[in-house]
Amino acid sequence: MRPSPPVRAYDGTVRALALGVRGASRLARTGAGTSLRGLVIQKLDPGFVRRRAARLDGGIVVVSGTNGKTTTAAMIAAILRSGGDGVVTNASGANLFRGVAASLATMPTGSRAGVFEVDEGALARLVPALRPRALVLTNVFRDQLDRFGEPETVAGLLGDAARLVRGTGAVVANVDDPLLWHAVRDTEPVGYGVVTPPEPPEMAAGGPVFDAEPEVCPRCGGPLAYRRRTIAHLGAASCAACGWSTPDPPFLAEVRGASTFDSMSLRLSDVDVDVGIGGLHNAYNAAAAVAAASTFGVTARDAAVALREFSARFGRTERLDVDGARVWVLLMKNPAGASVLVRQVVAERRVGAVLLMVSDRDADGRDVSWIWDANFEPLVRRGLPIVAGGIRAADVAVRVKYAGGETVAVEPDPGRALAAARGAAPSGTDVAALATYTSMLDLRGAALGSKVDAVAEVAPV
Amino acid sequence: MSANGADLVVVHLYPRLLRTYGDRGNVLTLARRAEWRGFQVRLVDVEVGEPLPPDAGLVVLGGGTDRVQEIIGADLASRRAELGGAAARGAVILGICGGYQFLGRRYVTLEGRSIEGLGLLDVETVARARRIIGRVNKAHAALWGREFDLVGFENHGGRTSLGPQATPLARVPRGGGNDGRDGTEGAVQGTILGTYLHGPVVPVNPAFADAVLERALAPATGGAPLAPLEDGAERRAHDEALRRPPESAPRRRRLLAVAAVLALLLALAGRAAATEIDEDGALGTRVAVCATNPTEVLLHRTVRTVHDRTVHHGGYVGWSIRSSASAASHCSSI
Repeated sequence: MRPSPPVRAYDGTVRALALGVRGASRLARTGAGTSLRGLVIQKLDPGFVRRRAARLDGGIVVVSGTNGKTTTAAMIAAILRSGGDGVVTNASGANLFRGVAASLATMPTGSRAGVFEVDEGALARLVPALRPRALVLTNVFRDQLDRFGEPETVAGLLGDAARLVRGTGAVVANVDDPLLWHAVRDTEPVGYGVVTPPEPPEMAAGGPVFDAEPEVCPRCGGPLAYRRRTIAHLGAASCAACGWSTPDPPFLAEVRGASTFDSMSLRLSDVDVDVGIGGLHNAYNAAAAVAAASTFGVTARDAAVALREFSARFGRTERLDVDGARVWVLLMKNPAGASVLVRQVVAERRVGAVLLMVSDRDADGRDVSWIWDANFEPLVRRGLPIVAGGIRAADVAVRVKYAGGETVAVEPDPGRALAAARGAAPSGTDVAALATYTSMLDLRGAALGSKVDAVAEVAPV
Repeated sequence: MSANGADLVVVHLYPRLLRTYGDRGNVLTLARRAEWRGFQVRLVDVEVGEPLPPDAGLVVLGGGTDRVQEIIGADLASRRAELGGAAARGAVILGICGGYQFLGRRYVTLEGRSIEGLGLLDVETVARARRIIGRVNKAHAALWGREFDLVGFENHGGRTSLGPQATPLARVPRGGGNDGRDGTEGAVQGTILGTYLHGPVVPVNPAFADAVLERALAPATGGAPLAPLEDGAERRAHDEALRRPPESAPRRRRLLAVAAVLALLLALAGRAAATEIDEDGALGTRVAVCATNPTEVLLHRTVRTVHDRTVHHGGYVGWSIRSSASAASHCSSI
């Protein structure tokens, strides 16, 4: 439905204003362009998002969940773009109402489809406004408890959002996350999951897994038994007490062989999918993307072609070349995510030193207790030199000490931390930097010699 | 030495279920610090339905989400005699956050339902919707004849009050701690300890760790003081936390800045209105009072709110806006 000419003229004015604000903030180098122009729209006219979204007749995908939003959304956008459509996306981190509003305001005129990552807390407002054709829900992990509350609450938010699209769009959800899968049970979700090769011996955890959410049945609270497991509490589970069980999903990605930072082979829907990014978490992201694309009529074969060209985004296994040295930037958000990255780093033979950066600004989570739930021990067992960085570098050093290791440097300053890590890496090897959100921004700033790009992406929390 | 050759049996109670805030770090740190001093340590994980080892010398009970705390409720209730017996033999029992609340007499939920606790600590907790969240670095603790500073992070909805048999673990500035009002944090009763501090609390507070260990190891050492350890990393983390300003959330600073700008604008508007009306003559004084009043109210409340560190993120914004709105309506009614 096309809006009436006066409304269109009005929207045109808002768009011009938003572009103006973006231009002005770029000129002023304040880096606040995304949230500022979005905020202007949010305050002036909340109906703007609904009207702009309705013009994307190719359909909209909304991606939410604790981990993997940015990469999954980027993968879906890459797949839809390969079909020739102009696709609007929101910048990483700009995933509240205002961030989406800003993206819609400044979208190119030829855009036909939209892919937006949306913060769990913003779903209730954005899903009705965007009316997505597919809602992709990745997982629920404990993340920033000081801000989000408990995982059960977040699962409830995702379930509510899923019920909002029921009838008008498809729900695509991670079948391997018991809490999430149970929360969307009455929305006929399209499931996806991951199967892994057997674990290398140095990674065998032994004892309870501390980065997982409690393995309890989401229906009755009984203990869950796993038929297969991947990351933390993710896997195929069933409850002996009440008979609840996760089904076999239509999109099950089988990880083949070892992955590296920038390559991974999957077998998915009888198609070989080679992705230009590694790590188990990215196997989930790829499976989610292929499942989401299927709701747009894109075959797994076509999706696989698009994913082959896919490379990492902003701080998510991003490769930086710093004066001839290679630094892999790995965004670490919570214990489960950190443990997966550790597995990836330990398996990656190119890595000669590790930089562990933890900060405690709002966007990182102010309580850093979680670093004790992440499994950093394999880094120590592999004998990698470790540099502690970030505002809470000293806490990282204590964590490493009790993991049985010793940091080669404790350096809150990002530039000096990076230099220490490069100095500790034997020549010809790479540095792997695991960093929380604002630490990642600081590190990119230090590595690239400019903070402008990084600041533009600051998550509006 | 106990029968199986360990000097200290450390029990992590419900490690699969109560582990929300790095609780494993507390257990790991206590075990390592005993081992580094040459003691034999046996670490035992006890889950729902499993018995507590009879020679447990140190039991750590962490925090969990509300749902999980409900799941373990029945099992925990059945352990009253077991845990009470361990404490009577001199075992140290350390409850953190949710675990602290469990150790108390009862917990009253938001809905007003009363849940009976273990009754090992003479404390009671009442849930409140507004959580106490923030860094803690001005806590001064007194424990078994030692005094030291504690640092950490707290995040709890419960307000805990101490009965006559329990003494506070630490003194904190008003706004944080047990109930946000009385300036106390945690509780001690014999060898039973409770605290709201995450961090986790043990690794970044080596003095606290060693006080707990010395007491738990007393059966093996006869109460002799523990040898000092090389604590450079721990002390650095502790000292850096101590030196930080109590609350530095950028969001609050941003809001304060916005509030200040708004207040300034209001003040300018108020002055302009006053001038205009002064020129009109008649109602001058009265309206000028009305126009500047909200500004003062807003400024005053903003400053007060920032000092009051218990205020929840969301609550803060709402409050400032409400206070300015109510001031405005007061104004228009004049």
